[in-house]
Amino acid sequence: MTTAPVIETEGLSKIFGQQRALDNVSLKVSPGSIGLLGPNGAGKTTFMKCLLQLQPISSGNARLLGREVGREGREIRKRVGYAPEQNCHIPGMAGCEYVTYCGQLSGLPFQAARQRAHEMLDFVGMSQERYRKIETYSTGMKQRLKLAQAIVHDPEIVFLDEPTNGLDPKGQAQILELVQSLWRAYGITVVLSSHLLHDVERVCEQIIIIARGRVLVHDSLENLKARKRGAAEVVLARGHAELQAACRSQNWLCDMLPNGHLRVEHRADSLNPLLTLMHGLHLPPLEIIPSPNALEETFVQALEISHAPA
Amino acid sequence: MPLHEAHYQHWDGAHTGIWARRGVIAQNTLLACLRTKSLRMVLVSCWLSALLMAAFLFFLGQLLVPDSIVTTWVMQMNANLQSFFGMFTAWLEGHPEISVRTTQNVLFYFYGVYLMPLSIFALGMVLPAFVTRDLASSAIVIYSSKAVTRFDYFLGKFSAAFAVMAMTWLGPVCAAWLVGNLLAPKWNFFWHARIALIHVLIFGLSSMVILCLLALGVSAFSSREKATPAFWFIWWVLGLAIQPIALHTLPWLRHVAFGYNLRQIALEIFNMGQDLKTAQESIPIFGDMLGKIRPETRAALEDPTFFGALAGLAMMLAVAVYILKKRVRPE
Repeated sequence: MTTAPVIETEGLSKIFGQQRALDNVSLKVSPGSIGLLGPNGAGKTTFMKCLLQLQPISSGNARLLGREVGREGREIRKRVGYAPEQNCHIPGMAGCEYVTYCGQLSGLPFQAARQRAHEMLDFVGMSQERYRKIETYSTGMKQRLKLAQAIVHDPEIVFLDEPTNGLDPKGQAQILELVQSLWRAYGITVVLSSHLLHDVERVCEQIIIIARGRVLVHDSLENLKARKRGAAEVVLARGHAELQAACRSQNWLCDMLPNGHLRVEHRADSLNPLLTLMHGLHLPPLEIIPSPNALEETFVQALEISHAPA
Repeated sequence: MPLHEAHYQHWDGAHTGIWARRGVIAQNTLLACLRTKSLRMVLVSCWLSALLMAAFLFFLGQLLVPDSIVTTWVMQMNANLQSFFGMFTAWLEGHPEISVRTTQNVLFYFYGVYLMPLSIFALGMVLPAFVTRDLASSAIVIYSSKAVTRFDYFLGKFSAAFAVMAMTWLGPVCAAWLVGNLLAPKWNFFWHARIALIHVLIFGLSSMVILCLLALGVSAFSSREKATPAFWFIWWVLGLAIQPIALHTLPWLRHVAFGYNLRQIALEIFNMGQDLKTAQESIPIFGDMLGKIRPETRAALEDPTFFGALAGLAMMLAVAVYILKKRVRPE
């Protein structure tokens, strides 16, 4: 399997009036399941749309599947699938007609498009309802239909924009399971855009966190989870001063938080040194909350950035 | 049990060409149009009118056949009509190269011009199927994310609009010409009537291109399904209403009506003034009838405001293309 980057951007920017939706984004993304994580309005959708040429790029350049975005639109989109966030079905069509039509628009001959439409509708778990008009579908069915139309032409990469929006927990789990299988079982690169950490964590192997149009982090899930600051929040019934003094003697930072807990920066991979120290002081902790990993921390940082005044 | 129990299959067949994809857009839009009941009714009316036109041409041709039912029937008419048909028949026999050309040119001018409103009506009824619905349902995003460009989308939609007009206008007119001349008593009618067909094709094709672009522009004007046909019909009816008023006040105002502009183009292409002169000179009784036409109507027939019409239509097309470019974007 090729490991050449599927997405390459250099100084990619998108400006809407006074607002910078994408700010100098430079990335090299290898094939896999990629999570595009960030709060609402972070620039995830704009990033995908720029790659798909649904939005013109203001500056910088981008390559998708090795081809220059902006020059070879048709050829790129023949190999790419996209399931937008909003509903975008053609009124008056039945589900299977719609997916067949999308296949034909992507360059499949009619017979192949019809056959694949039924296969994809089976794959996303739609049965007889495929013969009903799309207007009568529930949110869950519409999400499945969007996924089916995005993969009907067997793309090399598929962009899914908030595919679990509006679904109940069971529906979310089913859609995520399907999305996960696309890369793991069938080798289709998936770019999953979501504002839900849990969804991305469950499905993706690579994470890109975006806030205010800037990429905060791009790394593998494994690395991000392993990367911890070596700190913990300690809840004690007594002996706060003793623990603070003991930490200082170890050259660890130890601060009292407004909620009365102590925050200890022990700089170790595990909590063992801290527990040993507390054991020596005969201070049983009521609770120890390990510091979040880099994924959670960066995501929180992204949320803070997006909520901060411009 | 996992949902994806039905396994995903990769596909490695050959892709269709871009014209096939454009064709798919056109076909799909046309099918959506044909689901409209009023279009189906207009279609039936248009093809019925084509039958009537062919029957009328058959009637004219039968005047040349001695002892035909038509000739016998004409002989039973009053003296004036007998005289008219007698002269007309003599003209047809004596100078078929002029008479067939002139007669069919005049007939197909009127048939083409008077069938056009039905086609404009049909186009108005199916306007939402072109762009409006795609804007309303955001389906435009799906088109933009597939292996087609905005130009391919326009071309597909344009072809569908063109097909609607071809089925309700140019198709019946050409069919009437073909059947009418097939039923003529002499094969040389085809040759003599070729100018009428050429005029029909030039006028029909150019008008269809113009009307289809205008229809697409109006269709993209709003994303509300009821708004675009309403705008189309209001524009059309206002144009019709303005013409008699503007004639004596601000003549240039007539050019805001696309129907008026197209009629001027038809007059120029069919060269009606010349044909009427020829008919008047060849059949004296016909000349007397033409003498009763009002001078302003006669002037309009002989000297159409061709360049004004072209300028008016060019401006309308520019606005339509601007609306299309502005409105048909992914979001």
